[in-house]
Amino acid sequence: MEKKQNFFAKNKTFTIFGILGIIVILVAIFAPVVTGGIDPTTGVLTDALKAPSSDHIFGTDKLGRDVFARVIYGARTSLVAAFCVVAAAFTIGTVLGVLAGYFGKVVDAIIMRVADMMIAFPGMILAIAVAGIMGASIQNAVIAISLVTWPKYARLARSLVLKIRDRDYVAAAIVTGSKTPYMLLRYMLPSAITTLVITAATDIGSMMLELAALSFLGFGAVPPTPEWGLMLSEGRAYMTAAPWLMIFPGIAIFVVVTIFNMLGDSLRDILDPRQE
Amino acid sequence: MKKHLGKIVALGLAAVLAVAALAACGGGSASSKSASAAAGSTGGTLTFGCQSYTDGIVDPLNDTNSGWNAMRYGVTEALFKFDDQMNVEPWLAESCDISDDHKTWTIKLKDGVKFSNGTDMTASAVAASLQRTIDEGDNGTATPEKYLEKAAKITADDAKNTITIVTETAYPDLRKNLAYPTMAIVDTKGTTDYTRGVIGTGPYAIDKYTDKVGYTMKANANYRDTVPFAGVEILFLGDATAKANALKGGQVMVTENVATASDLNALKDDSAYNVDVANGVRCGFSYVNFDGVLKNDALRQAVMMAIDGQTVADVTVGGLYTYGYSVLPSNLDYNYDKLTYKYKYDKEAAKKLLDDAGIKDTDGDGIRELDGQPIKLEWITYENRGLADMAQAGQQQLKEIGIDANVNVGDSESEWNKMVNGEYDLCSSNWTTVGTGDPTEYLANWNGGNKANYCNYSNAKFDEAYTKLLTEFDDQKRKELITTMQQCLLDDAAVLVHGYYNSSMISNASQIANAPIHTADYYWINTEITPAA
Repeated sequence: MEKKQNFFAKNKTFTIFGILGIIVILVAIFAPVVTGGIDPTTGVLTDALKAPSSDHIFGTDKLGRDVFARVIYGARTSLVAAFCVVAAAFTIGTVLGVLAGYFGKVVDAIIMRVADMMIAFPGMILAIAVAGIMGASIQNAVIAISLVTWPKYARLARSLVLKIRDRDYVAAAIVTGSKTPYMLLRYMLPSAITTLVITAATDIGSMMLELAALSFLGFGAVPPTPEWGLMLSEGRAYMTAAPWLMIFPGIAIFVVVTIFNMLGDSLRDILDPRQE
Repeated sequence: MKKHLGKIVALGLAAVLAVAALAACGGGSASSKSASAAAGSTGGTLTFGCQSYTDGIVDPLNDTNSGWNAMRYGVTEALFKFDDQMNVEPWLAESCDISDDHKTWTIKLKDGVKFSNGTDMTASAVAASLQRTIDEGDNGTATPEKYLEKAAKITADDAKNTITIVTETAYPDLRKNLAYPTMAIVDTKGTTDYTRGVIGTGPYAIDKYTDKVGYTMKANANYRDTVPFAGVEILFLGDATAKANALKGGQVMVTENVATASDLNALKDDSAYNVDVANGVRCGFSYVNFDGVLKNDALRQAVMMAIDGQTVADVTVGGLYTYGYSVLPSNLDYNYDKLTYKYKYDKEAAKKLLDDAGIKDTDGDGIRELDGQPIKLEWITYENRGLADMAQAGQQQLKEIGIDANVNVGDSESEWNKMVNGEYDLCSSNWTTVGTGDPTEYLANWNGGNKANYCNYSNAKFDEAYTKLLTEFDDQKRKELITTMQQCLLDDAAVLVHGYYNSSMISNASQIANAPIHTADYYWINTEITPAA
């Protein structure tokens, strides 16, 4: 217990942003409680574009929907989608990267050339193309961004595996009869996993931004889903007449992305051995 | 000394470059200032911002938009034009004699009209232009045969300055068809580049086209009347916000149809700008697919009653539309006030109607079921003139009576394909109702068996009236038939009408004295746009 206290005391940034991150997640989970039961997809048409007031603290949008409720529920969409992207890219990238690094030769060539192909395109453009072909939906946006993000993890995992692949202790383990799955899980993965986790943690924020960007461009969430990028896009037409339509989702994106970026950075500080 | 000379030359060059760069930076604002100053007094250059349809092509036969472009830019004119009640009046024509069988049309032309290149607009030239229209219509998609059949015989009498058109089909009023922009009169002998430099009789003539930027036009020196500006710069602007910003930033003096309510209302409230709004002839409506779940009468009627069209038109799209329930705009002379509508907005009545019809929510998920299936309407539309916002408002209101809808916002082409293939329940569009001053073609969209009927609506009474309309020439009787057809659609809850689109023309009050918009969407740049005194 004492050791734990020390850990949190020693890593103040991590503790602070960890707590803030948990608060964001809790807000998303308990959105109906936080908003007092207001449905983010229903509104009174005659209450359209009302400025922030005691009735609607963030104002209302063009269909009379409560912007506060939409921002809060938007956290659900953004968090779930961003975690899905990171998890998918992390899993696919790590598995393929470790395999490529460990087996080398043909396996390496195939996996890495496919990865190179994905990297050859500007990520956002490829994501737009993928989302455009599959149709606009938040699921497809997740798939699109995962598809362009996994090569980063694959290259990283491969290089980390290559670093130890030819070490003597690895050769010794093989000579002493360790099976391939055991080699991969016991030797290769652990050598790569720390760096990959750090990368994943720092990626959450940028993935959120990319998802919001896709939704903003009309390739992500579809109305009436409360999603921050989509809300910005919907508010754009009313930028001068009803600025709160852009301000509050904008602040939400800024705050949440900052929290997860700082959390990722502080996690890197803790896990990265070079910092010690 | 040589060494120094080198340095001096280098310094001198640098100084020249710097001055040139500064001059280049300053150049834009300086020239635009002088241009606007000139426009304020006499002549000068009018800068006009507008959407580019079909890439700004001006060959009336290329497609429908291109004919509109040429007329909107003030390049072409037609024999007849529409007034703001969509009545037809002479333009290049002086008068028209109609035979009793409505098959021989003798049109007397105005004397002394010249094309912008100075060529006389003789009767032969007019006949040649119309002949080109019907002969070469197949090279494009403008389908001029819709306005004048291919079999028509056109003869010219230059001495009398008349042309005679003899048709096999009897036309109720060919003048209206000849007023359509596709039928504009062009100089077939003088025009070498139809796509970017068609020669017409309008007040302005094309001088230069800059790809993706727009047209530079000069006043037609041979115009029969005074032309208010020495030239016009037509600038293509992408969307409503761009148009509003270009107007505010001084890049354009006049722009058309700022179609976002917030931008338009901000301009209306600002005394620095004049906003002219006309009740247009476009109807925003959702086609109802009778081949889907909405063939159920109670469900369809409830959908109509669930949506507060008045609030959607006034609030959601901020007055871009004037609400009405019939497919023909209330400002036109088609007896709107004599129509009756049973399915006006009444949410509670809609719920009761569904409950009575046994369309109830049995599994408690908030969505009613029909034949055991939860109701989910596929509502397709595209981003144009507030259509997507209106569909989303409808979706929200349908949910309140327990009907789910998926609003699918695509582009106009994908919407059209889905509509043709019947992959929709509701399909929001914005169509011109009386493009040729008459709604027959538009009403064909609900005529059973007509290939333009993509909603599978069928009503014997409607079809009978439609058939009669095709051969009825008496205006009063035509109006009665059209009224009957409107009433059929209302009684059958066959169309979800959102309202009638209001066109707008917005101008800078300090630079422009007058910039009117007309009911017919074909007349943008003309001699009515005048510089401020």
